[in-house]
Amino acid sequence: MTLLSLHRRIAILGLLAAACRGGGPHVEVPPPTPAPGDTTCVLANGRTVARDTVSVAVSDPVAAAHAPLPRNEAERLVFGQLYESLIRLDCQGRPLPGLAKSWDQASGDRWAFTLRDNARFWDGAPVTARDVLASWRGRDPALAQSALIVDDHTLTVPGAGVPFQRFADQVLAVTKGAPGGGWPIGTGGYWMTHSNPASPDELVAQPIRPTPGRPALKIVMAAPTASRDALDAGADLLVTDDPATLEYARTLSGYADLPLEWGRAYVLLAPGRDKALAGDLRLETLREAVRQDARPAEWTGSGRYWFTDLSNCNLPAGRDTLGATGRRRRIAYDQSDRSAADVAARLVGLGVLGPGAVAAGVSGAAFASSLRAGGDAAYVLELPRRVYDACRAAVELPPWAAAGTVEPLLDVRAHAIVRRGLPRMALDWDGTLHIGPP
Amino acid sequence: MTFRARLLLGFGAVVLVPLTVFGLRIRAEMANRLAAEYQRRVAALVAVIRADLDQRSGDIASRLAALREALARDNRFRGQVVQGGDRTYVLDYAGDAMRLSGLSLLQIQDDAGRIVSSGHFRNEYDRTDPALPRLLATAPAGTALLRARGAEGPLLALARVDSVRLGSRAFTLVGGIAVDSSFLAHLTPDPELKVAVVLPGDSSAAADPTTQVVDSLTVPFVAGGDSAELQPARIMVSHSLASLAALRRGVAFSFLVAVLATAAIALVLASWLSTRISRPLTALAAKTADVDMDRLDVAFESDRADEIGALSRLLGAMTERLRAGAARLREAERRLAMGDLARQVNHDVKNGLIPIRNVFRHFVQAAREGPEPLAAAFRDRQATVESSITYLENLASNYARLYPHPAGEACDVNAVVRETIGRMGDTGRAEIRLELMEGLPPVRADVLALRRILENLIGNAIDSLVDRPGSVRVSTDRGAPGNGTPPVRVIVADTGRGMTQDELNRAFDDFYTTKPGGTGLGLSIVRRLVLDASGSLRVETQPGAGSTFIVELPGVKA
Repeated sequence: MTLLSLHRRIAILGLLAAACRGGGPHVEVPPPTPAPGDTTCVLANGRTVARDTVSVAVSDPVAAAHAPLPRNEAERLVFGQLYESLIRLDCQGRPLPGLAKSWDQASGDRWAFTLRDNARFWDGAPVTARDVLASWRGRDPALAQSALIVDDHTLTVPGAGVPFQRFADQVLAVTKGAPGGGWPIGTGGYWMTHSNPASPDELVAQPIRPTPGRPALKIVMAAPTASRDALDAGADLLVTDDPATLEYARTLSGYADLPLEWGRAYVLLAPGRDKALAGDLRLETLREAVRQDARPAEWTGSGRYWFTDLSNCNLPAGRDTLGATGRRRRIAYDQSDRSAADVAARLVGLGVLGPGAVAAGVSGAAFASSLRAGGDAAYVLELPRRVYDACRAAVELPPWAAAGTVEPLLDVRAHAIVRRGLPRMALDWDGTLHIGPP
Repeated sequence: MTFRARLLLGFGAVVLVPLTVFGLRIRAEMANRLAAEYQRRVAALVAVIRADLDQRSGDIASRLAALREALARDNRFRGQVVQGGDRTYVLDYAGDAMRLSGLSLLQIQDDAGRIVSSGHFRNEYDRTDPALPRLLATAPAGTALLRARGAEGPLLALARVDSVRLGSRAFTLVGGIAVDSSFLAHLTPDPELKVAVVLPGDSSAAADPTTQVVDSLTVPFVAGGDSAELQPARIMVSHSLASLAALRRGVAFSFLVAVLATAAIALVLASWLSTRISRPLTALAAKTADVDMDRLDVAFESDRADEIGALSRLLGAMTERLRAGAARLREAERRLAMGDLARQVNHDVKNGLIPIRNVFRHFVQAAREGPEPLAAAFRDRQATVESSITYLENLASNYARLYPHPAGEACDVNAVVRETIGRMGDTGRAEIRLELMEGLPPVRADVLALRRILENLIGNAIDSLVDRPGSVRVSTDRGAPGNGTPPVRVIVADTGRGMTQDELNRAFDDFYTTKPGGTGLGLSIVRRLVLDASGSLRVETQPGAGSTFIVELPGVKA
């Protein structure tokens, strides 16, 4: 890493932090993209070997109905190959061209985005500024209404109040409906060709045009308990946080274990409190409580975790109607989340809520309901460490979150088990893995 | 209270009281025997549980011994706890070992009492609890109930302690099996027996001796946490008395049904029996009620051979004796009346014969004196003889009227009244007025008797006028209708002297008269003839104002 790149990185992060805080009336033009050859966010896996197809094993189901908004890590990986927003952010948060080839400051504190000249949908239709607005209209009507079309390839949006990183969000991916339903038509480097009727869990994504280093992707569904079987079956790429799988992969000479970004964090969410629950405890021992790759929560760089400062979001402050005595003295967690269970158990072991408190695993819907009601003394849940729009992500938090305390406990990350010689892959800021050339 | 009611009550008491005593006694005896049986079963189960706990304690000890040996051989564990570094394997060791050995609780502590690995609560590592292995080691038989911490709540286990030395460090192994509902259920195959653990201070689990048969055995207990000594816990065996209560309810219900059925049968039987007994008594009472001096012909015959038959026959005999006595009484009265009548006739005849005898003596005396004096005496005394003869004839007629005549045909009252008035001829100073209602129904009576009734009443009415002018009104009309044809009333009213109350009281006595030369039989005959005709006679009189005789005769259909 050169000194120049370090300075530039600091400047970029400063600008992004300013944008995240809402910024002032005057907006700054985001800096240019990283210099060609910057491999900071590229996953190194050795010398590339040309191949036609890469088999990707995913542990969660991938549904066309969810596209382009991912609901799990598998969909994030797949949709990231199929759909584009105006920009991308690399793992350092630096903007990369996406559907927009460039951006600039326009008059009236607006940003102007210029679309790629050769931007086309999968069906060959050119992508225009109107298509961009048509996509936004369904997912962010306010933004779509404030955007102005300059010409077929240029549109402007207000610079104030909208963080620039937001334009990398998959929410703003450009799509159009497919005739007869199915996968929405996107503009990414891949398009979903078909599902194998004999293997309903198998999907095939083909590159839009033959490009060196961009092989076809065969996405195979492999249950978390069968991750090692997927590797034995010849999967080229597997993203997992299962320690047993990682341990097994390390024994396989043909694979490389590439840790990804610390993409998610386990937090302790406590309603009706103005003081941290776990602040004085030995949280350094928390790392050993979970089996997956974890570290004590630590925010590197400027700023802090997005969920610890939502004061700019004007969230309604929910009233604490239950009070401490009205809540169950337990730490609740989603019982399908093994690491959450471990963290909750460790907190009980450390006596976070005092003697007699317990950890309680609650099934999915019931957990969501309990979380919304705030009937338990504390909750352990997993949140993304990075979001493009903190205020938008905060909507997913319970309404009392603004009046409670949120304490980051652990950062966790997944690993990519990559067959040696695979094409280049790069990590985006939100942890999305991009396969193929930039 | 009636004889029948008494019979019913007596019958019910005789049936129900023994049945009730029997039922209550059976119920109490059954409860006592079952409770004793339950107590024996509970005591037997307590002994079995004691043996079972000893066996399980031995099992735990053998599993801990096996773990101790495995741990001593495990170089990876040894390396991590002795040399430090990544301790993920150590933290997970107790969980895997616990599951493989079939234990529910496993905790490995170092020589400082720090938890280095926990199977039931993986993430309680680094907590210190040095008292736990020490307390378990001091427990009798080395086994105690332990309330261990768990992430999702406390865990009650039957636990033992063992130890192992790795290098220079000593480690203790606390292992146990969960004492949960399945453990307790396994202790007793009998669903009616319940086994519960009562920990110190746990009052909610105490069995209610009023609803259960209870026995218990004491087991040392480690409360965990800051507890510094063993406490006694109890494994309580109870046998619910619910089945006994249900049995009692069933018996009570059956008994109630039996009582009700018996009472119903007894009621019906007693009712039938009392009716059977009381019916002849009631009939006998009704017959007895009919008996009086005018009616002694009530039959008391009975074919019954029992007491009621004897009573009936006794009553019959008594009635027969009464009947004979009454006949004799009537005969005596008749004879007395005949004597009175004979004396009266004797007196009356003598009264008529005395003037005739005197006249005849006069004639005898005059005949001795010659024809002339005889003729003169005859002329002089002829009237006296004729008067006496008339008196005797009247006397004979009056006595003849004492004989009753049987009634006979339907007759028109108005016609008889007119005929009687016509035959009476001149009534002298008395004015007789007729007020006859037309359309009267006929009456069934003897015409002659009816005429004699009218002659007597009208004659008496005329005689009551004495020597002053007055009138006699003879009227007929229709009486108040009863169920059938209305009666016919004949009213004879005069404006004569009337009667005093004393005279009225004796007016219908034989031979009572207020008239000079009267026989005193007229009204007596009238009353008898009216009664013979099934009629009624009523008198309304006032001294000085006259009398009214009202005869009412039953009418018949024309």
